[in-house]
Amino acid sequence: MTEKLNPAINKKPLLVALLAALFFLALGLFMLWQRYQILQETRDDEMKGIIDLVEQNIDQSLKYSYSAALSLALQIDENGVINNFDEVASQLVDGNPSIDGIQTVPGGVIKQVYPYEENKAVINYNILEDSTRNEEAYRAIDNRKMFFAGPIELKQGGLAVIGRLPVFIKNEFWGFSAVLIKFENLIDQSGIEDLSSNKFKFQFSKRDPLSGKEEFFLSTTNDFTKSYSGEIVFPDGDWKIYIIPTEPYEPLYAVIPVAFLILIMSGALGWIIFNTMKQPAILAAKVKQQAGDLAKSELQFRTIFNQAAIGMARVNSLSGKILETNNRFQELLGYTNEELIQKDHVAISYPEDRDENIALMGRLRNNEIREYNLKKRLVRKDGEIIWIKLNVSALWSHGEKASSHIALVEDISARVKAQREREENERRFRSLVENSSEVILIIDTQGYAKYSSPSLERITGYKELYVAENEIFSLIHPDDASNLIGKFKESRENPGVPFSGIKLRLQTKCVNYIWVDVTITNLTREKSIGGYVVNFRDITAKQEAEINLFKSYDFVMEQNKRLLNFAYIVSHNLRSHSSNLESILELYKTEECEEEKQTYISLLENVSKNLNESLHDLNEVVSINNNLDINVETIKVAEYLDKTLEVLQLQIKKKKAQVNIDVPEEMQVTFNASYMESVLLNFLTNALRYSHRDRNPVITVTGYIDNQRWVLKIADNGIGIDLNKHGDKVFGLYKTFTERKDSRGVGLFITKNQINAMGGNVFVDSEPGIGTTFKVIFK
Amino acid sequence: MRKSVWVIDDDEIYQMIIKKLIQKSGVFEDRYFFKGAKQVISELEKSEFLVPDVILLDINMPLMDGWQFIEKLRTVVSEIPERTKIYIVSSSIAYSDKERAEKFPEVTGFLSKPLTVNILKEIGESVK
Repeated sequence: MTEKLNPAINKKPLLVALLAALFFLALGLFMLWQRYQILQETRDDEMKGIIDLVEQNIDQSLKYSYSAALSLALQIDENGVINNFDEVASQLVDGNPSIDGIQTVPGGVIKQVYPYEENKAVINYNILEDSTRNEEAYRAIDNRKMFFAGPIELKQGGLAVIGRLPVFIKNEFWGFSAVLIKFENLIDQSGIEDLSSNKFKFQFSKRDPLSGKEEFFLSTTNDFTKSYSGEIVFPDGDWKIYIIPTEPYEPLYAVIPVAFLILIMSGALGWIIFNTMKQPAILAAKVKQQAGDLAKSELQFRTIFNQAAIGMARVNSLSGKILETNNRFQELLGYTNEELIQKDHVAISYPEDRDENIALMGRLRNNEIREYNLKKRLVRKDGEIIWIKLNVSALWSHGEKASSHIALVEDISARVKAQREREENERRFRSLVENSSEVILIIDTQGYAKYSSPSLERITGYKELYVAENEIFSLIHPDDASNLIGKFKESRENPGVPFSGIKLRLQTKCVNYIWVDVTITNLTREKSIGGYVVNFRDITAKQEAEINLFKSYDFVMEQNKRLLNFAYIVSHNLRSHSSNLESILELYKTEECEEEKQTYISLLENVSKNLNESLHDLNEVVSINNNLDINVETIKVAEYLDKTLEVLQLQIKKKKAQVNIDVPEEMQVTFNASYMESVLLNFLTNALRYSHRDRNPVITVTGYIDNQRWVLKIADNGIGIDLNKHGDKVFGLYKTFTERKDSRGVGLFITKNQINAMGGNVFVDSEPGIGTTFKVIFK
Repeated sequence: MRKSVWVIDDDEIYQMIIKKLIQKSGVFEDRYFFKGAKQVISELEKSEFLVPDVILLDINMPLMDGWQFIEKLRTVVSEIPERTKIYIVSSSIAYSDKERAEKFPEVTGFLSKPLTVNILKEIGESVK
């Protein structure tokens, strides 16, 4: 018990218990005292009995002795003579066990004794003259009565009592008739020895006739002070017999254990009473405290109920009616307590969530469960739907009939909303990652891919990348690997810093390379990642576009260069004509001679002709470069070649040229028809025109496929071109390599432009003095 | 002292014009006209041929252009005389050509066609 008891209540039982114990003790001791008294009395009675018996026995002995002494005295005649002493004496002594001897003492002098042998020593002993004994003798004489002297020490030896009967003849003292009883015999006759057993001791005393002092004869004890003694006084002998208990305190001893018992019992009784009396007080205190606790907890419960941060409602489990609600509950639902009370809980429940709750409440009602938790929706007064966490606990004891239950309602709308948003976000993020064209890998420090986004397979064809550090590089184009390794090393030393813009070629599962733009971020220190985040995306199209852009750039630059060149040539050519015109006109003006003037006019005609020719050439060039939508068709090269040879028939004959044609019938190219005519004519004309003067021209035209493209080769054995000197100018406009007047440097320029315009290419191979070979590669 | 001039140009009409102009200017007593640079080089290789005081050189010519000619001249002649002035005479007004001309130390000037009697007189007078 921890509670402190009221001292007043505490003290009372103690007092009562003490008093009860004392009372019981007193009572017990009183009864014990009574008992002790009884024991004492019983012993005293016993002793008295014994004493009486001893007295009777001794008295008997003494009576026998008296009668014996009297019998002997009667034998004395008038003269004081005993005739037949021996006979009488023997009869008296032998027939009487209590007598040990008999004697006649006439005049105080012992004259006759029986048994003689034993007692002959005392014959003629005058007892009256012996002062130590005569006191008792005289007393007998004075009283004329028998008196027992002793016990005395006999002259003949031994301790004995002597009974002397004074004999008077004619009123004259004659002497004594004496009887001798040995002390042992007397004690023996008294029966003391038998009676005393172990319980008692005896003492035999006599008042000394001379000193008046008490003289004790038995060697037991002389201490009578603490003894209970019975006393017998014999008037015939002045004797006393004491009886002394061997164990004077025996009755006390007998009661001591009982006394202890009583002491213990009273103590026990006191204790029992104390505890018994104390119990109600403790109980009372307990009850009071519990009542206090109850009141307190009731108050606490009320406070909790009303002030709780979660909504609480008590609901009738049978009817489903709301019995009471707390502030929070009212707040949550927007109803007042009055509105809520007697409302059915179903009324505030969101319709879809009702059934589960009703089912669970049914189980609660049937004592199948004691409580349940549920996430559900409620409908507020204003119609808004809120998510709540519901906890319902039965308010009746287990097994009893259902009464009411308490419903705890926690608003989790925000939480549910947040979770929805989180899930939505995660889904969105995941779908972003998974559907992104960007591949995301997390590569651990061992070089294994811990994570790879689904786009990996879409882009590379690999489902997963089980690549250790070296293996991952086996998929990288050898030219790009060292760059990537370098970036990885940098990234390792710079955690958290993204390294982006790493462009490299990656081998896909389909074995071809794709261009990827890689970003590496070292997030090995980031616990949730624990590796290198590598993201890359396919930039092949972009890269190709870039390459194409570069190509276009080159193309445009080339075009530009050509245009510049063209412009240069145009300006140069036209200016040369114009400057000539200017000069001629200047000369013409200042010339006075008519003949000279005429020369200038013809010169002007020449200039005009040349100018016209130049303009015609330029027009042709411009038309090729401008005509982007020129009509193309499938052309059989052999057919056109035949046509051209027909046109050149005359020249061939004149030059005695040999023309070898090896062009397969199936050689078909996409080309503009008039361009084709122009190209073929130009090459063949050149081959004929620049022939070697020492030999007949041999022209070989071959058509074949090389690297999936048709090639037309035109070879001659003409003068050739020094490509070391003029290589870059062979196809240039107004580039001529001979001093022939008919070389204008236009033909090859136009031919090349026409071939290029059709998507083809032309190359030249030549050696001066040996020949020239042109190769046209068609688209 | 007689002054000499070479005209190297493949334009026949120009050749005729320049002849008249030089004649009119009257500054050069010794006049040589060539239709190609190669022709000059072969003449130089053949015999002792004095390099003139003035060379009027065209750029655009077949087989050997003006630039090639100057380079070749360096090898053929042991030494281009100090007095020799080489003028590039071109119908080109392209800046690139003027720029290129400056890179040749032998070239004294760049002249755009058409030339006039006055220009030729000035050139002739500059020769001492």
